[in-house]
Amino acid sequence: MRRLAMGFIPLTDAAVLIAAAERGFSMAEGIEIDLHREVSWANIRDKVNVGLLDGAHMLGPLAIASSLGLGHVRVPLVVPFALNLNGSAITIAKDIYEEMGETGTDLSTALGAAGALGRVVAARRAAGHDPLTFAAVYSFSTHTYLIRHFLKAGGIDPDKDVRLVVIPPPFTAESLRNGLIHGFCVGSPWNSVAVEADVGRIAALGAEIFGWVPEKVLGVHARFVNTEPDLLRRLVRALHAAARWCEDPANHEDLARLLAEPRHLGLPADILRRTLDGRLHTAPGGALRAHPDYLVLNRDNANRPNLDHALWMYSQIVKAGQGEWTADAAREAISVYRPDLFDAAVGPPVPAPRPEPDCVATQFGDVFDPERFLATGE
Amino acid sequence: MANDLSLRIVIVDDSPVRAAILSEGLQEAGFVNVLRLEGVNNLLERIYAIDPDVIIIDLENPSRDTIEQMFQVSREVKRPVAMFVDQSDKSTIEEAIAAGVASYVVDGLRKDRVRPILETTISRYRAFARLREELEEAKSQLEERKLVDRAKLILMKAKNIDEQTAYGLIRRTAMNEKKRLVDIAQSIITAAELLR
Repeated sequence: MRRLAMGFIPLTDAAVLIAAAERGFSMAEGIEIDLHREVSWANIRDKVNVGLLDGAHMLGPLAIASSLGLGHVRVPLVVPFALNLNGSAITIAKDIYEEMGETGTDLSTALGAAGALGRVVAARRAAGHDPLTFAAVYSFSTHTYLIRHFLKAGGIDPDKDVRLVVIPPPFTAESLRNGLIHGFCVGSPWNSVAVEADVGRIAALGAEIFGWVPEKVLGVHARFVNTEPDLLRRLVRALHAAARWCEDPANHEDLARLLAEPRHLGLPADILRRTLDGRLHTAPGGALRAHPDYLVLNRDNANRPNLDHALWMYSQIVKAGQGEWTADAAREAISVYRPDLFDAAVGPPVPAPRPEPDCVATQFGDVFDPERFLATGE
Repeated sequence: MANDLSLRIVIVDDSPVRAAILSEGLQEAGFVNVLRLEGVNNLLERIYAIDPDVIIIDLENPSRDTIEQMFQVSREVKRPVAMFVDQSDKSTIEEAIAAGVASYVVDGLRKDRVRPILETTISRYRAFARLREELEEAKSQLEERKLVDRAKLILMKAKNIDEQTAYGLIRRTAMNEKKRLVDIAQSIITAAELLR
Protein backbone atom coordinates (compact mmCIF):
# COMPACT_ATOMS: atom_id res chain seq x y z
CA MET A 1 0.00 0.00 0.00
CA ARG A 2 1.38 3.41 -0.98
CA ARG A 3 0.35 6.57 0.86
CA LEU A 4 -0.18 9.77 -1.09
CA ALA A 5 -0.84 13.22 0.38
CA MET A 6 -3.43 15.05 -1.72
CA GLY A 7 -4.63 18.61 -1.24
CA PHE A 8 -8.08 20.01 -1.92
CA ILE A 9 -10.05 23.23 -1.52
CA PRO A 10 -13.56 22.85 -0.05
CA LEU A 11 -15.60 22.88 -3.27
CA THR A 12 -18.13 20.45 -4.74
CA ASP A 13 -15.75 19.60 -7.57
CA ALA A 14 -13.27 18.05 -5.13
CA ALA A 15 -15.87 15.22 -5.19
CA VAL A 16 -13.93 12.80 -7.39
CA LEU A 17 -10.73 13.09 -5.32
CA ILE A 18 -12.61 12.78 -2.03
CA ALA A 19 -14.64 9.81 -3.28
CA ALA A 20 -11.46 8.11 -4.55
CA ALA A 21 -9.95 8.45 -1.07
CA GLU A 22 -13.04 7.57 0.98
CA ARG A 23 -15.08 5.09 -1.06
CA GLY A 24 -12.44 2.44 -1.71
CA PHE A 25 -11.39 3.38 -5.25
CA SER A 26 -7.79 4.21 -4.35
CA MET A 27 -7.52 1.19 -2.03
CA ALA A 28 -8.45 -1.01 -4.99
CA GLU A 29 -5.32 0.32 -6.72
CA GLY A 30 -3.14 -0.16 -3.64
CA ILE A 31 -3.08 3.52 -2.75
CA GLU A 32 -4.04 5.15 0.52
CA ILE A 33 -4.89 8.82 0.02
CA ASP A 34 -4.42 11.25 2.92
CA LEU A 35 -6.63 14.25 2.17
CA HIS A 36 -5.40 17.69 3.21
CA ARG A 37 -7.89 20.55 3.20
CA GLU A 38 -6.15 23.78 2.18
CA VAL A 39 -7.25 27.41 2.48
CA SER A 40 -5.66 28.90 -0.64
CA TRP A 41 -4.66 27.92 -4.16
CA ALA A 42 -1.27 29.47 -3.43
CA ASN A 43 -0.81 26.89 -0.65
CA ILE A 44 -1.81 24.09 -3.02
CA ARG A 45 0.73 25.26 -5.59
CA ASP A 46 3.55 25.74 -3.05
CA LYS A 47 2.96 22.49 -1.21
CA VAL A 48 2.93 20.49 -4.44
CA ASN A 49 6.10 22.34 -5.44
CA VAL A 50 8.08 21.45 -2.32
CA GLY A 51 6.64 17.94 -2.07
CA LEU A 52 4.50 18.35 1.05
CA LEU A 53 1.66 17.27 -1.24
CA ASP A 54 2.01 14.56 -3.90
CA GLY A 55 -0.78 16.11 -5.93
CA ALA A 56 -3.90 18.19 -5.60
CA HIS A 57 -7.34 19.33 -6.71
CA MET A 58 -6.28 22.31 -8.78
CA LEU A 59 -7.61 24.98 -11.13
CA GLY A 60 -6.72 24.17 -14.74
CA PRO A 61 -5.39 27.69 -15.43
CA LEU A 62 -3.32 27.56 -12.23
CA ALA A 63 -1.54 24.44 -13.49
CA ILE A 64 -0.78 26.23 -16.76
CA ALA A 65 0.23 29.58 -15.22
CA SER A 66 2.53 27.82 -12.72
CA SER A 67 4.19 25.81 -15.45
CA LEU A 68 4.76 29.01 -17.44
CA GLY A 69 6.05 30.89 -14.38
CA LEU A 70 3.31 33.53 -14.60
CA GLY A 71 2.62 35.55 -11.47
CA HIS A 72 5.03 33.47 -9.47
CA VAL A 73 8.14 31.29 -9.59
CA ARG A 74 7.93 28.57 -12.21
CA VAL A 75 6.56 25.29 -10.88
CA PRO A 76 6.43 22.61 -13.60
CA LEU A 77 3.08 20.85 -13.17
CA VAL A 78 1.46 18.05 -15.10
CA VAL A 79 -2.23 17.29 -15.58
CA PRO A 80 -2.93 13.58 -16.21
CA PHE A 81 -6.63 13.79 -15.24
CA ALA A 82 -9.44 16.37 -15.40
CA LEU A 83 -11.62 16.25 -12.29
CA ASN A 84 -14.63 18.03 -13.83
CA LEU A 85 -16.03 20.42 -16.38
CA ASN A 86 -18.26 23.39 -15.50
CA GLY A 87 -19.78 23.87 -12.03
CA SER A 88 -19.49 27.64 -11.61
CA ALA A 89 -22.09 30.38 -11.47
CA ILE A 90 -22.23 34.17 -11.28
CA THR A 91 -23.94 35.63 -8.24
CA ILE A 92 -24.94 39.29 -8.03
CA ALA A 93 -25.69 41.31 -4.88
CA LYS A 94 -29.43 41.54 -4.17
CA ASP A 95 -29.72 45.31 -4.65
CA ILE A 96 -27.79 45.31 -7.92
CA TYR A 97 -29.89 42.37 -9.14
CA GLU A 98 -33.01 44.39 -8.38
CA GLU A 99 -31.61 47.28 -10.43
CA MET A 100 -30.97 44.79 -13.24
CA GLY A 101 -34.61 43.71 -13.05
CA GLU A 102 -35.77 47.33 -13.23
CA THR A 103 -34.12 47.73 -16.65
CA GLY A 104 -36.93 45.54 -17.99
CA THR A 105 -34.48 43.12 -19.58
CA ASP A 106 -35.24 39.39 -19.54
CA LEU A 107 -32.95 38.01 -16.84
CA SER A 108 -33.70 34.36 -17.55
CA THR A 109 -30.77 34.02 -19.98
CA ALA A 110 -27.10 34.71 -19.25
CA LEU A 111 -26.89 37.11 -22.20
CA GLY A 112 -29.97 38.99 -20.95
CA ALA A 113 -28.51 39.25 -17.45
CA ALA A 114 -25.20 40.50 -18.87
CA GLY A 115 -27.00 43.18 -20.89
CA ALA A 116 -28.99 44.28 -17.85
CA LEU A 117 -25.82 44.51 -15.78
CA GLY A 118 -24.26 46.58 -18.56
CA ARG A 119 -27.14 49.05 -18.32
CA VAL A 120 -26.82 49.24 -14.52
CA VAL A 121 -23.07 49.87 -14.79
CA ALA A 122 -23.64 52.61 -17.42
CA ALA A 123 -26.37 54.26 -15.34
CA ARG A 124 -24.20 54.24 -12.24
CA ARG A 125 -21.30 55.75 -14.15
CA ALA A 126 -23.61 58.48 -15.53
CA ALA A 127 -24.76 59.21 -11.97
CA GLY A 128 -21.13 59.53 -10.83
CA HIS A 129 -21.16 56.46 -8.57
CA ASP A 130 -18.03 54.42 -7.78
CA PRO A 131 -17.43 51.51 -10.15
CA LEU A 132 -18.79 48.14 -9.02
CA THR A 133 -16.40 45.48 -7.74
CA PHE A 134 -16.59 41.84 -8.84
CA ALA A 135 -14.63 38.94 -7.47
CA ALA A 136 -13.24 35.70 -8.77
CA VAL A 137 -11.61 33.25 -6.40
CA TYR A 138 -8.19 33.19 -8.02
CA SER A 139 -6.66 35.26 -10.76
CA PHE A 140 -5.66 32.29 -12.94
CA SER A 141 -9.05 30.58 -12.94
CA THR A 142 -11.92 29.79 -15.25
CA HIS A 143 -13.99 32.02 -12.93
CA THR A 144 -11.92 35.03 -13.91
CA TYR A 145 -12.42 34.23 -17.59
CA LEU A 146 -16.13 33.48 -17.17
CA ILE A 147 -16.85 36.76 -15.45
CA ARG A 148 -14.72 38.72 -17.95
CA HIS A 149 -16.60 37.09 -20.85
CA PHE A 150 -19.94 37.78 -19.15
CA LEU A 151 -19.09 41.44 -18.47
CA LYS A 152 -17.87 41.99 -22.03
CA ALA A 153 -21.11 40.50 -23.40
CA GLY A 154 -22.92 43.20 -21.43
CA GLY A 155 -20.78 45.91 -22.99
CA ILE A 156 -18.67 46.29 -19.84
CA ASP A 157 -14.89 46.65 -20.07
CA PRO A 158 -13.65 44.40 -17.25
CA ASP A 159 -10.42 46.40 -16.94
CA LYS A 160 -11.94 49.90 -16.96
CA ASP A 161 -15.62 49.93 -16.03
CA VAL A 162 -15.43 47.72 -12.94
CA ARG A 163 -12.85 46.49 -10.43
CA LEU A 164 -11.93 42.81 -10.43
CA VAL A 165 -10.56 41.38 -7.18
CA VAL A 166 -9.87 37.97 -5.67
CA ILE A 167 -11.82 36.71 -2.64
CA PRO A 168 -11.41 33.17 -1.20
CA PRO A 169 -14.61 31.09 -1.67
CA PRO A 170 -15.60 30.93 2.02
CA PHE A 171 -15.62 34.76 2.18
CA THR A 172 -17.70 35.40 -0.95
CA ALA A 173 -21.10 35.53 0.77
CA GLU A 174 -19.77 37.61 3.65
CA SER A 175 -18.11 40.07 1.24
CA LEU A 176 -21.40 40.50 -0.65
CA ARG A 177 -23.21 41.14 2.60
CA ASN A 178 -20.86 43.88 3.79
CA GLY A 179 -20.72 45.52 0.37
CA LEU A 180 -17.03 44.91 -0.32
CA ILE A 181 -18.02 43.33 -3.63
CA HIS A 182 -21.17 43.47 -5.78
CA GLY A 183 -20.93 40.09 -7.44
CA PHE A 184 -18.67 37.13 -7.96
CA CYS A 185 -18.00 34.04 -10.01
CA VAL A 186 -17.19 30.96 -7.94
CA GLY A 187 -17.55 27.20 -8.07
CA SER A 188 -20.32 25.39 -6.27
CA PRO A 189 -21.60 25.34 -3.66
CA TRP A 190 -20.63 28.91 -2.74
CA ASN A 191 -23.18 30.55 -5.04
CA SER A 192 -25.90 28.56 -3.30
CA VAL A 193 -24.45 29.49 0.08
CA ALA A 194 -24.81 33.20 -0.79
CA VAL A 195 -28.38 32.60 -2.01
CA GLU A 196 -29.32 30.68 1.16
CA ALA A 197 -27.85 33.53 3.23
CA ASP A 198 -30.14 35.85 1.20
CA VAL A 199 -27.31 38.19 0.18
CA GLY A 200 -27.15 37.41 -3.54
CA ARG A 201 -29.03 36.11 -6.56
CA ILE A 202 -27.63 33.67 -9.11
CA ALA A 203 -27.62 35.60 -12.39
CA ALA A 204 -26.07 32.98 -14.67
CA LEU A 205 -24.78 29.43 -14.52
CA GLY A 206 -21.30 28.93 -15.91
CA ALA A 207 -22.65 26.37 -18.38
CA GLU A 208 -24.89 29.12 -19.86
CA ILE A 209 -21.73 31.07 -20.82
CA PHE A 210 -19.29 28.31 -21.76
CA GLY A 211 -21.13 24.99 -22.03
CA TRP A 212 -18.09 22.71 -21.76
CA VAL A 213 -15.40 24.52 -19.88
CA PRO A 214 -12.33 23.01 -18.13
CA GLU A 215 -12.47 23.50 -14.38
CA LYS A 216 -10.53 21.52 -11.76
CA VAL A 217 -7.82 19.01 -12.58
CA LEU A 218 -5.50 16.68 -10.77
CA GLY A 219 -2.18 18.54 -10.76
CA VAL A 220 1.06 16.80 -9.88
CA HIS A 221 4.66 17.95 -10.02
CA ALA A 222 6.47 16.97 -13.22
CA ARG A 223 8.94 14.86 -11.20
CA PHE A 224 6.08 12.51 -10.20
CA VAL A 225 5.67 11.43 -13.83
CA ASN A 226 9.36 10.74 -14.21
CA THR A 227 9.97 8.89 -10.96
CA GLU A 228 6.79 6.88 -10.41
CA PRO A 229 4.95 6.31 -13.70
CA ASP A 230 3.26 3.13 -12.45
CA LEU A 231 1.97 4.78 -9.28
CA LEU A 232 0.58 7.65 -11.37
CA ARG A 233 -1.26 5.20 -13.66
CA ARG A 234 -2.84 3.54 -10.63
CA LEU A 235 -3.85 6.92 -9.23
CA VAL A 236 -5.48 7.92 -12.54
CA ARG A 237 -7.36 4.60 -12.68
CA ALA A 238 -8.61 5.11 -9.12
CA LEU A 239 -9.81 8.63 -9.95
CA HIS A 240 -11.50 7.43 -13.11
CA ALA A 241 -13.42 4.74 -11.24
CA ALA A 242 -14.37 7.31 -8.59
CA ALA A 243 -15.53 9.78 -11.28
CA ARG A 244 -17.84 7.15 -12.83
CA TRP A 245 -19.32 6.52 -9.39
CA CYS A 246 -19.75 10.25 -8.72
CA GLU A 247 -21.49 10.84 -12.06
CA ASP A 248 -24.21 8.28 -11.32
CA PRO A 249 -27.27 10.08 -9.84
CA ALA A 250 -27.97 6.96 -7.76
CA ASN A 251 -24.87 7.82 -5.71
CA HIS A 252 -25.53 11.56 -5.29
CA GLU A 253 -27.21 11.16 -1.93
CA ASP A 254 -24.23 9.30 -0.48
CA LEU A 255 -21.77 11.63 -2.20
CA ALA A 256 -23.52 14.73 -0.85
CA ARG A 257 -23.33 13.30 2.68
CA LEU A 258 -19.64 12.45 2.22
CA LEU A 259 -18.82 15.96 1.00
CA ALA A 260 -20.89 17.52 3.78
CA GLU A 261 -18.71 16.02 6.52
CA PRO A 262 -16.90 18.67 8.57
CA ARG A 263 -13.47 17.34 7.53
CA HIS A 264 -14.38 17.81 3.85
CA LEU A 265 -16.63 20.78 2.99
CA GLY A 266 -18.53 21.15 6.25
CA LEU A 267 -21.67 22.45 4.50
CA PRO A 268 -25.32 21.29 4.47
CA ALA A 269 -25.83 18.07 2.46
CA ASP A 270 -29.04 19.32 0.81
CA ILE A 271 -27.25 22.30 -0.79
CA LEU A 272 -24.48 19.99 -2.02
CA ARG A 273 -27.05 17.54 -3.36
CA ARG A 274 -28.66 20.26 -5.50
CA THR A 275 -25.29 21.34 -6.92
CA LEU A 276 -24.49 17.72 -7.82
CA ASP A 277 -27.87 17.43 -9.53
CA GLY A 278 -27.47 20.78 -11.31
CA ARG A 279 -30.61 22.34 -9.81
CA LEU A 280 -29.86 25.60 -8.02
CA HIS A 281 -32.13 27.95 -6.12
CA THR A 282 -31.59 31.46 -7.50
CA ALA A 283 -33.34 33.02 -4.50
CA PRO A 284 -33.91 31.49 -1.04
CA GLY A 285 -36.48 28.71 -1.47
CA GLY A 286 -37.31 30.28 -4.81
CA ALA A 287 -37.20 29.27 -8.45
CA LEU A 288 -34.78 26.57 -9.54
CA ARG A 289 -32.29 27.28 -12.28
CA ALA A 290 -31.28 23.97 -13.80
CA HIS A 291 -28.83 22.88 -16.46
CA PRO A 292 -28.02 19.27 -17.42
CA ASP A 293 -24.31 20.20 -17.77
CA TYR A 294 -24.13 22.42 -14.70
CA LEU A 295 -21.42 20.14 -13.28
CA VAL A 296 -19.90 17.32 -15.32
CA LEU A 297 -17.82 14.81 -13.37
CA ASN A 298 -17.24 11.97 -15.81
CA ARG A 299 -19.41 11.56 -18.87
CA ASP A 300 -18.35 12.20 -22.49
CA ASN A 301 -14.62 11.89 -21.81
CA ALA A 302 -14.75 14.76 -19.31
CA ASN A 303 -11.80 13.29 -17.40
CA ARG A 304 -9.45 13.04 -20.37
CA PRO A 305 -7.15 16.10 -20.49
CA ASN A 306 -8.16 17.98 -23.63
CA LEU A 307 -5.29 19.74 -25.43
CA ASP A 308 -7.63 22.32 -26.96
CA HIS A 309 -8.78 23.17 -23.44
CA ALA A 310 -5.18 23.78 -22.36
CA LEU A 311 -4.68 26.11 -25.30
CA TRP A 312 -8.01 27.85 -24.63
CA MET A 313 -6.97 28.55 -21.03
CA TYR A 314 -3.69 30.02 -22.24
CA SER A 315 -5.65 32.18 -24.73
CA GLN A 316 -7.74 33.49 -21.82
CA ILE A 317 -4.57 34.24 -19.82
CA VAL A 318 -3.34 36.31 -22.79
CA LYS A 319 -6.75 37.98 -23.31
CA ALA A 320 -6.91 39.00 -19.67
CA GLY A 321 -3.45 40.57 -19.93
CA GLN A 322 -1.97 38.10 -17.45
CA GLY A 323 0.75 36.93 -19.83
CA GLU A 324 2.27 37.80 -23.20
CA TRP A 325 1.56 35.54 -26.15
CA THR A 326 4.51 33.62 -27.55
CA ALA A 327 4.36 30.52 -29.72
CA ASP A 328 6.73 28.79 -27.28
CA ALA A 329 4.53 29.54 -24.27
CA ALA A 330 1.50 28.28 -26.20
CA ARG A 331 3.23 24.97 -26.89
CA GLU A 332 4.42 24.83 -23.28
CA ALA A 333 0.83 25.38 -22.07
CA ILE A 334 -0.39 22.48 -24.20
CA SER A 335 2.35 20.22 -22.89
CA VAL A 336 1.02 20.60 -19.30
CA TYR A 337 -2.01 18.53 -20.33
CA ARG A 338 -1.17 14.85 -20.75
CA PRO A 339 -3.94 12.79 -22.38
CA ASP A 340 -1.23 10.20 -23.13
CA LEU A 341 -0.85 9.51 -19.40
CA PHE A 342 -4.62 9.24 -19.08
CA ASP A 343 -4.88 6.80 -22.00
CA ALA A 344 -2.00 4.70 -20.63
CA ALA A 345 -3.96 4.28 -17.41
CA VAL A 346 -7.55 3.78 -18.57
CA GLY A 347 -7.32 2.96 -22.26
CA PRO A 348 -8.19 4.94 -25.41
CA PRO A 349 -11.09 7.41 -25.24
CA VAL A 350 -14.59 6.40 -26.23
CA PRO A 351 -16.36 8.41 -28.96
CA ALA A 352 -18.16 11.44 -27.57
CA PRO A 353 -20.10 14.35 -29.07
CA ARG A 354 -17.99 17.37 -30.05
CA PRO A 355 -19.11 20.60 -28.42
CA GLU A 356 -20.23 23.41 -30.74
CA PRO A 357 -19.15 25.97 -31.89
CA ASP A 358 -15.74 25.44 -30.21
CA CYS A 359 -13.98 23.27 -27.64
CA VAL A 360 -15.59 25.06 -24.67
CA ALA A 361 -19.06 25.38 -26.29
CA THR A 362 -19.00 29.18 -26.15
CA GLN A 363 -22.66 30.27 -25.92
CA PHE A 364 -22.20 33.87 -27.09
CA GLY A 365 -19.35 36.22 -27.95
CA ASP A 366 -15.96 35.37 -29.48
CA VAL A 367 -15.54 31.80 -30.72
CA PHE A 368 -12.16 30.13 -30.06
CA ASP A 369 -10.14 28.87 -33.01
CA PRO A 370 -7.18 26.79 -31.70
CA GLU A 371 -5.28 26.69 -35.02
CA ARG A 372 -5.52 30.41 -35.53
CA PHE A 373 -4.54 31.13 -31.92
CA LEU A 374 -1.55 28.80 -32.07
CA ALA A 375 -0.39 30.51 -35.26
CA THR A 376 -1.15 34.14 -34.48
CA GLY A 377 -1.99 34.55 -30.80
CA GLU A 378 -5.45 35.89 -31.67
CA MET B 1 19.69 53.27 0.22
CA ALA B 2 17.80 52.89 3.45
CA ASN B 3 19.33 50.94 6.28
CA ASP B 4 18.27 47.27 6.20
CA LEU B 5 17.01 47.55 9.74
CA SER B 6 14.54 50.22 8.67
CA LEU B 7 12.88 47.97 6.05
CA ARG B 8 9.11 48.09 6.51
CA ILE B 9 7.83 44.64 7.43
CA VAL B 10 4.14 43.70 7.56
CA ILE B 11 3.02 40.53 9.33
CA VAL B 12 -0.36 39.17 8.18
CA ASP B 13 -1.26 36.57 10.78
CA ASP B 14 -4.54 36.04 12.60
CA SER B 15 -2.81 34.32 15.50
CA PRO B 16 -1.97 37.16 17.90
CA VAL B 17 0.48 35.00 19.85
CA ARG B 18 2.42 33.88 16.81
CA ALA B 19 2.48 37.40 15.37
CA ALA B 20 3.79 38.68 18.71
CA ILE B 21 6.50 36.01 18.84
CA LEU B 22 7.63 36.90 15.31
CA SER B 23 7.40 40.63 15.84
CA GLU B 24 9.49 40.32 18.99
CA GLY B 25 12.06 38.21 17.15
CA LEU B 26 12.39 40.76 14.35
CA GLN B 27 12.69 43.60 16.82
CA GLU B 28 15.37 41.72 18.75
CA ALA B 29 17.22 41.37 15.45
CA GLY B 30 17.10 45.16 15.19
CA PHE B 31 14.19 45.71 12.74
CA VAL B 32 12.27 48.74 13.90
CA ASN B 33 9.43 48.99 11.38
CA VAL B 34 7.35 45.89 12.06
CA LEU B 35 3.57 46.10 11.74
CA ARG B 36 0.87 43.49 12.16
CA LEU B 37 -2.38 43.26 10.19
CA GLU B 38 -5.34 41.05 11.07
CA GLY B 39 -8.70 40.28 9.51
CA VAL B 40 -9.52 39.97 5.82
CA ASN B 41 -11.52 43.14 5.23
CA ASN B 42 -9.77 45.88 3.28
CA LEU B 43 -6.50 44.03 3.66
CA LEU B 44 -5.29 45.37 0.33
CA GLU B 45 -6.06 48.99 1.15
CA ARG B 46 -4.25 48.65 4.43
CA ILE B 47 -1.23 47.09 2.74
CA TYR B 48 -1.15 49.89 0.12
CA ALA B 49 -1.27 52.46 2.89
CA ILE B 50 1.74 50.94 4.66
CA ASP B 51 3.62 50.34 1.40
CA PRO B 52 5.81 47.61 2.94
CA ASP B 53 9.14 46.26 1.72
CA VAL B 54 8.39 42.79 3.02
CA ILE B 55 5.10 40.97 3.66
CA ILE B 56 5.06 37.87 5.84
CA ILE B 57 1.86 35.80 5.80
CA ASP B 58 0.94 32.57 7.54
CA LEU B 59 -0.18 29.68 5.35
CA GLU B 60 -3.40 29.23 7.30
CA ASN B 61 -4.47 32.64 6.04
CA PRO B 62 -6.83 32.41 3.04
CA SER B 63 -5.91 35.95 1.99
CA ARG B 64 -2.78 34.70 0.23
CA ASP B 65 -4.67 34.41 -3.06
CA THR B 66 -6.02 37.93 -2.66
CA ILE B 67 -2.56 39.31 -1.97
CA GLU B 68 -0.96 37.49 -4.88
CA GLN B 69 -3.53 38.91 -7.28
CA MET B 70 -2.59 42.38 -6.09
CA PHE B 71 0.98 41.71 -7.17
CA GLN B 72 -0.18 40.65 -10.63
CA VAL B 73 -2.37 43.67 -11.28
CA SER B 74 0.48 46.14 -11.42
CA ARG B 75 -1.71 49.22 -11.87
CA GLU B 76 -3.05 48.63 -8.37
CA VAL B 77 0.34 48.56 -6.69
CA LYS B 78 2.80 51.37 -6.37
CA ARG B 79 5.76 49.03 -6.29
CA PRO B 80 5.60 45.52 -7.73
CA VAL B 81 6.06 42.74 -5.23
CA ALA B 82 7.25 39.21 -5.83
CA MET B 83 7.56 36.09 -3.80
CA PHE B 84 11.02 36.22 -2.29
CA VAL B 85 12.07 32.71 -2.94
CA ASP B 86 12.94 31.71 -6.47
CA GLN B 87 14.40 28.56 -7.96
CA SER B 88 17.85 29.25 -6.51
CA ASP B 89 16.34 29.31 -3.04
CA LYS B 90 14.73 25.92 -3.11
CA SER B 91 15.78 24.99 0.41
CA THR B 92 14.54 28.31 1.80
CA ILE B 93 11.11 27.92 0.24
CA GLU B 94 10.91 24.35 1.50
CA GLU B 95 11.81 25.41 5.03
CA ALA B 96 9.37 28.31 4.97
CA ILE B 97 6.43 26.31 3.60
CA ALA B 98 7.13 23.45 6.02
CA ALA B 99 7.22 25.98 8.87
CA GLY B 100 3.85 27.31 7.65
CA VAL B 101 4.79 30.73 6.34
CA ALA B 102 5.26 32.57 3.03
CA SER B 103 6.84 35.92 2.32
CA TYR B 104 6.82 38.52 -0.41
CA VAL B 105 9.21 41.42 -0.99
CA VAL B 106 9.21 44.44 -3.27
CA ASP B 107 10.82 43.67 -6.56
CA GLY B 108 14.48 44.58 -6.80
CA LEU B 109 15.27 44.24 -3.12
CA ARG B 110 18.45 42.19 -2.89
CA LYS B 111 18.00 38.77 -1.38
CA ASP B 112 20.87 39.02 1.08
CA ARG B 113 19.11 42.05 2.61
CA VAL B 114 15.98 40.03 3.24
CA ARG B 115 17.58 36.76 4.27
CA PRO B 116 17.94 37.63 7.99
CA ILE B 117 14.23 38.51 8.08
CA LEU B 118 13.27 35.21 6.53
CA GLU B 119 15.57 33.22 8.80
CA THR B 120 14.11 34.85 11.89
CA THR B 121 10.60 34.21 10.56
CA ILE B 122 11.22 30.52 9.92
CA SER B 123 12.80 29.93 13.32
CA ARG B 124 10.04 31.83 15.16
CA TYR B 125 7.30 29.96 13.29
CA ARG B 126 8.95 26.69 14.22
CA ALA B 127 9.20 27.80 17.84
CA PHE B 128 5.52 28.65 17.82
CA ALA B 129 4.60 25.27 16.33
CA ARG B 130 6.57 23.53 19.11
CA LEU B 131 4.90 25.71 21.70
CA ARG B 132 1.49 24.84 20.31
CA GLU B 133 2.29 21.12 20.35
CA GLU B 134 3.39 21.32 23.98
CA LEU B 135 0.27 23.24 24.85
CA GLU B 136 -1.93 20.67 23.11
CA GLU B 137 -0.19 17.89 24.98
CA ALA B 138 -0.56 19.64 28.33
CA LYS B 139 -4.23 20.26 27.53
CA SER B 140 -4.92 16.63 26.68
CA GLN B 141 -3.08 15.48 29.82
CA LEU B 142 -5.28 17.76 31.87
CA GLU B 143 -8.38 16.43 30.11
CA GLU B 144 -7.29 12.87 30.80
CA ARG B 145 -6.72 13.59 34.47
CA LYS B 146 -10.19 15.10 34.73
CA LEU B 147 -11.72 11.97 33.20
CA VAL B 148 -9.84 9.67 35.60
CA ASP B 149 -10.98 11.86 38.53
CA ARG B 150 -14.60 11.60 37.41
CA ALA B 151 -14.31 7.81 37.01
CA LYS B 152 -12.78 7.53 40.46
CA LEU B 153 -15.68 9.46 41.97
CA ILE B 154 -18.23 7.20 40.25
CA LEU B 155 -16.51 4.07 41.60
CA MET B 156 -16.17 5.54 45.10
CA LYS B 157 -19.91 6.23 45.25
CA ALA B 158 -21.05 3.01 43.59
CA LYS B 159 -18.82 0.64 45.53
CA ASN B 160 -18.45 2.73 48.68
CA ILE B 161 -14.64 2.62 48.54
CA ASP B 162 -11.96 5.22 49.13
CA GLU B 163 -10.10 7.16 46.46
CA GLN B 164 -6.94 5.08 46.53
CA THR B 165 -8.85 1.81 46.14
CA ALA B 166 -10.86 3.27 43.25
CA TYR B 167 -7.69 4.40 41.51
CA GLY B 168 -6.09 0.99 42.10
CA LEU B 169 -9.12 -0.69 40.54
CA ILE B 170 -8.94 1.47 37.40
CA ARG B 171 -5.21 0.90 37.08
CA ARG B 172 -5.45 -2.87 37.53
CA THR B 173 -8.23 -3.09 34.95
CA ALA B 174 -6.19 -1.03 32.50
CA MET B 175 -3.21 -3.33 32.97
CA ASN B 176 -5.28 -6.49 32.64
CA GLU B 177 -7.03 -5.27 29.49
CA LYS B 178 -3.86 -3.70 28.08
CA LYS B 179 -5.61 -0.36 27.72
CA ARG B 180 -4.79 3.17 28.75
CA LEU B 181 -5.99 4.50 32.10
CA VAL B 182 -8.06 7.15 30.35
CA ASP B 183 -9.83 4.57 28.15
CA ILE B 184 -10.98 2.62 31.20
CA ALA B 185 -12.03 5.88 32.88
CA GLN B 186 -14.02 6.81 29.77
CA SER B 187 -15.84 3.46 29.72
CA ILE B 188 -16.73 3.81 33.40
CA ILE B 189 -18.19 7.27 32.72
CA THR B 190 -20.10 6.04 29.67
CA ALA B 191 -21.47 3.06 31.56
CA ALA B 192 -22.51 5.26 34.48
CA GLU B 193 -24.32 7.64 32.14
CA LEU B 194 -26.15 4.72 30.49
CA LEU B 195 -27.20 3.28 33.84
CA ARG B 196 -28.30 6.57 35.29
